[in-house]
Amino acid sequence: MSRNGPLALGFHGLVVLFMMAPLVVVCLVAFTPENTLSLPTQGFSLRWFRAVFERADFIQAFYNSLILAFSAATLATLIAVPAALAISRYSFPGRDFFSALFLSPIIIPHLVLGVAMLRLFALMGVNGSFTWLMLAHVVIITPYVLRLVLAAAIGIDRSAEQAAESLGAGRFTLFRQITLPMILPGVAGGWLLAFINSFDEVTLSIFVSSPATQTLPVRMYVYATESIDPMMAAVSALVIALTAATMILLDRVYGLDRVLVGKH
Amino acid sequence: MAFLQLNALSKRYGAVDAVVATDLAVEKGEFVSLLGPSGCGKTTTLQMIAGFVEVTSGQILLDGRDITHAKPASRGLGVVFQSYALFPHMSVRDNVAFGLKMRKVPAAEIASKVKTVLDLVRLAPHAERYPRELSGGQRQRVALARALVIEPPVLLLDEPLSNLDANLREEMQFEIRRIQCAVGITTLMVTHDQAEALSISDRVVVMEAGRVTQIDAPYTLYEHPRTRFISDFVGKANLLPGDYDALGTPQVRQESGDGELTLSLRPEKIQLVNAGSGRLQGQVLDRFFFGSQWLYRIHTSLGEITVVRANDGSAPLGNGAAVGLEWPAELLRVLAADEVRP
Repeated sequence: MSRNGPLALGFHGLVVLFMMAPLVVVCLVAFTPENTLSLPTQGFSLRWFRAVFERADFIQAFYNSLILAFSAATLATLIAVPAALAISRYSFPGRDFFSALFLSPIIIPHLVLGVAMLRLFALMGVNGSFTWLMLAHVVIITPYVLRLVLAAAIGIDRSAEQAAESLGAGRFTLFRQITLPMILPGVAGGWLLAFINSFDEVTLSIFVSSPATQTLPVRMYVYATESIDPMMAAVSALVIALTAATMILLDRVYGLDRVLVGKH
Repeated sequence: MAFLQLNALSKRYGAVDAVVATDLAVEKGEFVSLLGPSGCGKTTTLQMIAGFVEVTSGQILLDGRDITHAKPASRGLGVVFQSYALFPHMSVRDNVAFGLKMRKVPAAEIASKVKTVLDLVRLAPHAERYPRELSGGQRQRVALARALVIEPPVLLLDEPLSNLDANLREEMQFEIRRIQCAVGITTLMVTHDQAEALSISDRVVVMEAGRVTQIDAPYTLYEHPRTRFISDFVGKANLLPGDYDALGTPQVRQESGDGELTLSLRPEKIQLVNAGSGRLQGQVLDRFFFGSQWLYRIHTSLGEITVVRANDGSAPLGNGAAVGLEWPAELLRVLAADEVRP
């Protein structure tokens, strides 16, 4: 194992500091007893956290986001796994087209997608529907799952599948007992990335959510355009905590370097 | 009829002939190696037998049954892959038990069969480990156990030893042969390593550019290679041009197709004698020490000749030493011209 020199370590430290500092500031501000976003802050208080939990609209928005992210990530995974397996191992007409199509939502700005979907959903008469909001999320998060599952599917030893076949495994058993467990880190990592992306998504959701289906980020955005108070910091701190907890869980179960870097 | 029979088996990828009209008959209990350089079609042949590669034309018969187009699962063959292909998420026990579970064997019978086969490959103490916790040789043995436990009619080994380091490779060669003899299973092994093929096979099939060029027992193959290519690929050989009256009279006097003769003389068949005597005079160019052997490169009027002598304790020749070369005339082989030009 080679060690980093002092210069590289210093640089890495700066990058980490640059990325972490805003999060740390938000979390610190969330504990202020004062009425404004102030740092340094006098004393320590949970009043703004209490304020969050007293806001039924925020609680509702949180549940909306949670259910939305969960169902959208799951549906995206159900689409991405067969797609990734097909793209990684078969050559068929239109393969590159499908591969590009699946990955294209990453390139198209969410703003553009949002406007387009707003118009489309209005034409279809499904504006404000939770199902269609979820499908819109599926479109933008599927690429994340696909990329991770694709990497996993390309990385596995195909001869293990051949071995299972020759040992008598049928197609379903083969997928269920051999292929899926082998690509599971990619699938779980993809699901998680999709979940986080859906949970954080604001640009597209602003266009296609209604008051009844408002997500937490949209609720926060709307709230922030009206007033800035430390409650926003408290909500942000809670979101950060939830995300961090999910990441730690994933690290425990599979290891983050495997999911994000692809190490085995 | 042989137990496993290939009739004019061919595989074509687009315009490329990977395997051309290959005939092979393997008897029950026999250990046969498919030997050849990479790209010669030996692995494709094995994969066609296993059912992973579709057959373009020809026929595969197993115990009289036509399995040419059968699915891998219904062939019931044991396959050991170059990469071992163990299931990484399963313990050694579960890896080995997989084929039996697929066959819906009762749990108690699975347990006893797995135990027996793990004892056979000497892995019983590691049954609960995962593949990543095992050494290369141990993984190899798990792969072997997993293939053997289903009691397949034929065991197919695809370069089973190429991922092992040299010492372990030799040990596993003997191990594979021991297990094969203990079980008495018909075995077909693909290898590019001639030493491996010679040491453990009953018969060796040499393949070049998709075609079988010689099938013989290892000793016959080594002593009587049919072509120049085989003579050079299987063991080391001094290949000498024509005029063999000066070299001693070869056993078989025959002209090869285009009238050119190639003579083959194994390096270890040549004795070094005092300069002035022997069939040929030469001068030592350089020498290499291999522990049990000395290898000399000797400059002669016929070109450079390699001689291998056992390290029997006598003083080796120095560079530049003048020396005579002597060999029994009947050990000089006449080779046919290569049938297949790569």
